[in-house]
Amino acid sequence: MNSLRRFLLVSVLSALMLVNFIAALHGYRSSMVEAENLFDQKLQAMALQLSSVPLRTTNNAPAPDDESMVFQLFNADGKLVWHSVHAPDQYIAANEGFSENNFNGYRWRTLSYFNFVNGHRIMIAERLDLRYRLAESVILESIVPVVVVLPVAGLLIWLIIGQGLKSLAILAKILRGKAADDLSAVDVGQAPNELMPVIESVNSMLRRLAESFERERRFSADAAHELRTPISAIKIHLHNLRDEYGQDNESLLSLERDVDRLAHLVEQMLLLHRTTPDHYPAKFERISLAALAREVIAERYGDFVSKDQIIELLGSDGDIDGDRFAIGILLQNLLTNASKYTQHGGTIQVKIEALENRNRLVVVDNGPGISADVKERVFERFYRVGGDRHSSGVSGCGLGLSIAEHIAELHGANISMAAGDNDCGLAVTVDFPKTRTALKASRSLAMEKYGEKK
Amino acid sequence: MLLTSVIIVLREVLEAALLVSILMSLCFKLGIERSWFKWGVLGGVVGSIGLGSQLGFISSLFGGIGQEVVDAGLQIFIYICLLYICVEFINHYYQRHAVSGTLRAVLVIIILCAMSREGSEIYIYLSAFQSLPHASVSLYSGSIIGLGIGLSCCALFYYCLLSFSLLRTLILGCMLLTVVASGMLLQAGKMLIQADLLPDGQLWDSSAVLSEESLSGQLLYALAGYEATPAPAQLVLYLFGVVCMAAVVLTRYWHWQRRKVSAKVAGYEE
Repeated sequence: MNSLRRFLLVSVLSALMLVNFIAALHGYRSSMVEAENLFDQKLQAMALQLSSVPLRTTNNAPAPDDESMVFQLFNADGKLVWHSVHAPDQYIAANEGFSENNFNGYRWRTLSYFNFVNGHRIMIAERLDLRYRLAESVILESIVPVVVVLPVAGLLIWLIIGQGLKSLAILAKILRGKAADDLSAVDVGQAPNELMPVIESVNSMLRRLAESFERERRFSADAAHELRTPISAIKIHLHNLRDEYGQDNESLLSLERDVDRLAHLVEQMLLLHRTTPDHYPAKFERISLAALAREVIAERYGDFVSKDQIIELLGSDGDIDGDRFAIGILLQNLLTNASKYTQHGGTIQVKIEALENRNRLVVVDNGPGISADVKERVFERFYRVGGDRHSSGVSGCGLGLSIAEHIAELHGANISMAAGDNDCGLAVTVDFPKTRTALKASRSLAMEKYGEKK
Repeated sequence: MLLTSVIIVLREVLEAALLVSILMSLCFKLGIERSWFKWGVLGGVVGSIGLGSQLGFISSLFGGIGQEVVDAGLQIFIYICLLYICVEFINHYYQRHAVSGTLRAVLVIIILCAMSREGSEIYIYLSAFQSLPHASVSLYSGSIIGLGIGLSCCALFYYCLLSFSLLRTLILGCMLLTVVASGMLLQAGKMLIQADLLPDGQLWDSSAVLSEESLSGQLLYALAGYEATPAPAQLVLYLFGVVCMAAVVLTRYWHWQRRKVSAKVAGYEE
């Protein structure tokens, strides 16, 4: 069944209707039998009275009648001495007692009664159709309300069921309106006993989920944080060793590269967990994508210069509602990746386009690009195209794009990849919602997706 | 008048509504969308009025036996459609493909035909007696009571069928459809006997045990075309209907079971 309320309404109303109607029919049949008995009793009383009427002559004037009831009175000699206007001349009843007979174009209920005191025989008849109609009209007075009242009963049942299921509806509304990152307990208010186990189970599950997320977040953050200190110590010792053994010592150079890589990995891990949409305490403000991009480019300008790369910032301001720090990280990661994997002398462009409902940020390079089959996988944590032996030979930890995706989700933005200009290189596109309302809607959707992904 | 109205309306409503409830419950369980239902009902209402109002013309067809022939034709047509539906339901159970337009069309046609046939009789009855002013209250009260009892029985029956597991509903549904469809063949036989196209006779008289006029008699009539005094030709048609439909349905069921076993064996071998 699709709807509990509809099921309850239809089944309760059906059961009620079935029982009521069958009871009404039973009542109708019993009442009709009872009415027949009453009519017969009335006929019998009239016969008794008419048979006792003292008749002086044998030729009495016909008595008036209303066509629904006729009678014949015979004296002890069997001669018709009195009758009603519409009574026929011949016997109207063939048998003694009650019977049904046809005459005058109708079917009649007849009674033939013999009075032993005066020897008179009275035959009295009542039209069956009229008495049936009369009986039915009386009984229908009690049947019709049973039928008419049904829509009212249906409405009442509908309202009662609605009231009964109110707590369930409230629970459904709360759960439906819950944001993906809202793991607070559900409070339905005065919930019925039947619903309490469900609410308790949901709340217990939400509590365990929140604790589990918190544990995971704290562990990763603590682990990354704790790793920073020994790495910094190693870096100092390494610096001292290079002073002691010479700056060109091959082993120490390798060690320095690995320590840098380890430091980068730890930083990225820390960032990854900081920017997780359900943990990140975002402070949304109006920011200009172009201004922020300019700042990030300035910060990383040394990287582009060291590889003789051309970096260009094109397009409009692109004002969005966002978290300055997070968007900065997103730009940093996209630009670092572009610089890393684009060859010496390559070109990297940051384009900001104002579209109808969104602001688009595109970081496009003319590097080697990536194949279509791995485009989805590059957002996975620790995934690197070609594994650790990436053709570029540059070091990396495979977390940059995961962080970028987190930040995009945090902003209700959509991040995607495609081939760059002229089918060459790589273009990473991030579509940010333009307005605050659109941001909220997209963010809620993105958080749901994030929750499902989790 | 009230009792007569109840019996006539109940008899007709039960027959169509039972069929609808079986089909609806099977569709629900098999995940077949039920938007077709409203078109079937709409067509059924229009068909009832159309068929009822044209009864005079229909009756005059085929040398005065038009009504019987059309009625019997409709019943036989519904039987064939139900046979197709049963096979399609079994196919759908084993292979969840998208519901074909043909299946939807056949479902609409079944509801349309069943409702038109039963509805036209109610239409004729109501239009014949509504001119009697003293009878209108009992006529309409009786009709509403008959309609209410019929629809209530079928609604409860529908939810009862939904309470079973999918396989049980499918088996039970196919069995019920077999009985209902064969009952229709039995009724078609009655019509053909009335038209003197089949020989008349009486095999037995069970009205003393179960009257056709009682509620249980009405239910059994609607479900299996119960006749207190069936003719030999009717019994032959009924048995043919049951055997034919059961054979087709079981053949289809075994076909899928064999394929399932073969697939399992192939899976083990791999």
